[in-house]
Amino acid sequence: MSTHTLSTRDILTNPVFTNNPVAMQVLGVCSALAVSNSLQTALVMTLAVTFVLVFSNLIISSIRRLIPNSVRIIAQMTVIASLVIIVDMVLQDVAYELSRQLSVFVGLIITNCIIMGRAEAFAMKNPPHLAVVDAFGNAIGYGVILLGVAFVRELLGSGTLFGHEVLQTVENGGWYLANEMFKLPPSAFFLIGLMIWSINVIQRKRG
Amino acid sequence: MAFKKDTVVGTMVFTFILCLLCSFMITGTAELLKERKLAKKRDELQRYVLMAADIDMSGDRDFREIFAKSVTPMLVELDTGKVTTDGNLMDFDERMAAINPETSIKPKKDTARIKSRANQVRAFKVVDDKGELLSMVMPVYGKGLWSMIYGFVAVKSDLNTIENVVFYEHGETPGIGDFLNDPEWTDKFRGKQLFDDKGKVAIKVVKGGAKEGDVHGIDAISGATMTGRGVQRSIQFWFGNEGFETFFNKLKASEV
Repeated sequence: MSTHTLSTRDILTNPVFTNNPVAMQVLGVCSALAVSNSLQTALVMTLAVTFVLVFSNLIISSIRRLIPNSVRIIAQMTVIASLVIIVDMVLQDVAYELSRQLSVFVGLIITNCIIMGRAEAFAMKNPPHLAVVDAFGNAIGYGVILLGVAFVRELLGSGTLFGHEVLQTVENGGWYLANEMFKLPPSAFFLIGLMIWSINVIQRKRG
Repeated sequence: MAFKKDTVVGTMVFTFILCLLCSFMITGTAELLKERKLAKKRDELQRYVLMAADIDMSGDRDFREIFAKSVTPMLVELDTGKVTTDGNLMDFDERMAAINPETSIKPKKDTARIKSRANQVRAFKVVDDKGELLSMVMPVYGKGLWSMIYGFVAVKSDLNTIENVVFYEHGETPGIGDFLNDPEWTDKFRGKQLFDDKGKVAIKVVKGGAKEGDVHGIDAISGATMTGRGVQRSIQFWFGNEGFETFFNKLKASEV
């Protein structure tokens, strides 16, 4: 992939759709399955990943000429892990309940392949400003899928959006019989699968 | 630039500096959040104590206000039963006190498997509007299967009947040990008697379910034998002669 010839605009928009990290590269699916049962957790997770991704790309790209080749992966890991710990601490401070719901998945951002992948594939080879743009692009790509899946799962699984009632469920005296399957992680598999399918179809039509 | 990154020395220098910078980043954030974290910890402590004492926290009144009005924290010296209420007791670090060899001892019969016991613990005296003693909220902890289980046991003014219990921290198997936080289970402690006629701690977690009318027995949860045993032994240890016995005797004699 000749990233050097891409314009800044392409670097930002490509990962959102045509080269989406979750749908096209199938990275970071673990967390996408786990935290996408409500929009709130999905949004917080997206913000956390955005923060880590942007700063890890920025830091790694700025020191890319100093990183010895033999320890580059470990160096990237160290930077990413430190950022994740910071995110975790801040999240526990500002939104303790949410951080409990997200539980281990904030810590597992360390192993999110999107972040390692961008650090290794992009930040190591490009100047900081492009690396930040690339990070934003990929974070948006991750967020779009996550929020899209969470939208469907929360709406059909609990009849709510961001905790506000949209479809009144039978338990609350309404008409909507909530589909419990959407509360469980496997439903995200189907939804992400459908998304990959539709993205592929659209891309093929475009040629 | 003289820095040759791919030599052994270069690699080591780089790694060292990177680690140093990353740790500064983390400790910096931790330092910034420290004061807020302490405040949050204080709030949480107040809420758990009130929960254990079964004080109504609903309504408009702030729980901090209720706490300030009806709860007195006190430091109890376990071996002598001596009580102090001076100083900033809300920030008393009981875990530090329990592992510091200068402020702790090795229990003779370590049934709760805590390894070292602090000389002083923080208890809470809860009074009603007229200043009458409602309950004593006592801290207990002990080892379950994997982890220390921390909780509060609130004892009514007869110093025998349990008002309520709260377990606020544990690391037992997720899904199996969760019953510790389940009011449906902790409610079983309500109204049980801590001590038998001879003054021995008799509270126990009974496998197969406590018999009806058993004033000391709590139903065990199947699949969580060690967690239940941990809870039982912690309460037995802390209310026994290496725990609050001296203090309770003093309380009964109205010396406090």
